[in-house]
Amino acid sequence: MINQLGSVVELLLSGQFICQTTNEDAYRYLQSGENRQLVEQQLSILNRRLASAADEQVFFSAYDDIGESEREQLGKQFEDVSNHLLPLIEWMLLVQEALNKDLSLSQGMNLRLNELQTVIEDTPAYAEQLNKISRYAMFGSKANELDAQLKLIFKRLVELGYLIRPNQDKQIYTVTGKIDYLFDVIKFIDETEQLSLAQQAEDAMAQTNLI
Amino acid sequence: MNNNLKKAGTSLLNALSNHSELVMQAYFSGSIEETDYSPKVVKNLIDLKIMWRPENERGLRLRPALRTLLEEGLQDESNRQIDANIGSSLGSLSTLAEHYKDALNQGRYREADAHLSDLTERVYSLTDMLATNVRLIWQRISNEFGYVSTVDAKIRENELAQSQVSELLNQLALFQFDQLSQLAGSHRELRTLLVVTLQSSFAHCTQELSLAQSKLIDLLGRFREFKGRTRLLKGFVLHMEQKPDFTPQNYTKLTKVPELFNVSHNIVKPASIDVNQVDQEHEMLSLVQKIKLINRNRQNSRSMTDSSPIVLQDSAAIALEESRLKQAVEQFFCDVIDGGQNVTALSYYADKELDFDPEVWLYQVIGGYHGLPDEDKAFFAVETLGEPDKQFSGNFVITDIELGLR
Repeated sequence: MINQLGSVVELLLSGQFICQTTNEDAYRYLQSGENRQLVEQQLSILNRRLASAADEQVFFSAYDDIGESEREQLGKQFEDVSNHLLPLIEWMLLVQEALNKDLSLSQGMNLRLNELQTVIEDTPAYAEQLNKISRYAMFGSKANELDAQLKLIFKRLVELGYLIRPNQDKQIYTVTGKIDYLFDVIKFIDETEQLSLAQQAEDAMAQTNLI
Repeated sequence: MNNNLKKAGTSLLNALSNHSELVMQAYFSGSIEETDYSPKVVKNLIDLKIMWRPENERGLRLRPALRTLLEEGLQDESNRQIDANIGSSLGSLSTLAEHYKDALNQGRYREADAHLSDLTERVYSLTDMLATNVRLIWQRISNEFGYVSTVDAKIRENELAQSQVSELLNQLALFQFDQLSQLAGSHRELRTLLVVTLQSSFAHCTQELSLAQSKLIDLLGRFREFKGRTRLLKGFVLHMEQKPDFTPQNYTKLTKVPELFNVSHNIVKPASIDVNQVDQEHEMLSLVQKIKLINRNRQNSRSMTDSSPIVLQDSAAIALEESRLKQAVEQFFCDVIDGGQNVTALSYYADKELDFDPEVWLYQVIGGYHGLPDEDKAFFAVETLGEPDKQFSGNFVITDIELGLR
């Protein structure tokens, strides 16, 4: 029987992001400093160490020492991340607006596909936006039906680890901590490139208010 | 006991229960349509001070005292009033305590008793008020201001609640227990009421309030975070609209790769079943049962590991594949006509280096022939090459097809 340490190390080495939603046991295990040290020991054999994001809400494994091949690997990965940014952001905004929650997605939130679908079907602007999002290379949908587009997007997001589907028989999805990681990435880009995104949004909103 | 008062109270309560529909209507919609009810009933309710008319020509409303009673009784969250007038309550408490002591000193025991029961009532209502206020604040915290929908409104509600909490805490500071205990002196009843009861309620209330205060600040932070996140997302979309060619520089090229982008590649792949392990036989059998078709296809060029995610609605591509096969068969028929020679399907297949499954190819050739109209069929001669099955008699295994002109 595999022990907890083994399963946590396996999760980390298979490239998973561990958060409370995806794997509560592993997440709890990593809360203790002692356990973390044990994990670090195992990872360091393979030139890896434990890393975290979003105020220690998500854990993942990082390279300890970055050589040429690691750098190349990370570079490729980064390209994926930066290509996925816009589709993901547009999707998040769509979900947020459609559900009229006014709360941005964060770990542990439940999304009901049917609920979302009804709202999007009833609102042509949302349907158009969904159509646009589904055409991005990240999702690569060729379907014309809204139903297929939405299902494909959710399926892909589950593959990428942004959502999980706790019950395979139900179309209810839970947001994982990887979304919080994504927000960290956006914040990082915002700060590093000095985009002052929040300010831009504020200005735009002020302008529409004036009109 | 005053008989008249008792009678009036009973008739008031009776009126409330008799017209409960009307009262609840007024509670939910704020005012009532007078025309819906008989003028006698309405007048009765006004006389009993259940309803009142704030201004001429305005609808009838519930009296605030009754509304508060209902809100508290129903634990309705629309009740956001916090009554924090502790100062005046304390003032009246000390006055009553003085009355009581005076009456006791002068031997007017009945009067002292009345004062004491009045005082008890006031003290309990004060403690009840404190407890209600605290409960109200917690109620709002626990449903995260669910009664308003936007984050902005939640932030405003939160700020209101915070100001109410600090107001309550300020009011609580008016409790001066040294003075109260001086006032109580050596009277046992007064001490229990003014010192013990008030103190325990005071301690409980301050503790809860300070917890509530920190929770409110927490929540405010979360709401701000939500707002910040939304702004970040909208800002990014706007930015991309203005500069569609924007791509962040590749941070992994920096000498020190930022922690966020240092995500190591997955190196553990799922393990396989050990066929020699008896324990795992059950799992293996269930896996084997799921295998439906073994298709030995030569298309090695398509590696499954790098394939893009499965796209369910790929029917267009499948249709294309089929029509390619159909076209190849048509081409085969045309070539037979052009060449005028007998050709076997498999030799043609080898010549043209087709990449279909050979068996599928043979099927399609046969299917293609039978799919022709009768007059076209007459042009072709089809010979099936093969041998009877070695094991099962009556079966003829086709290994190739020869096609020629008649």
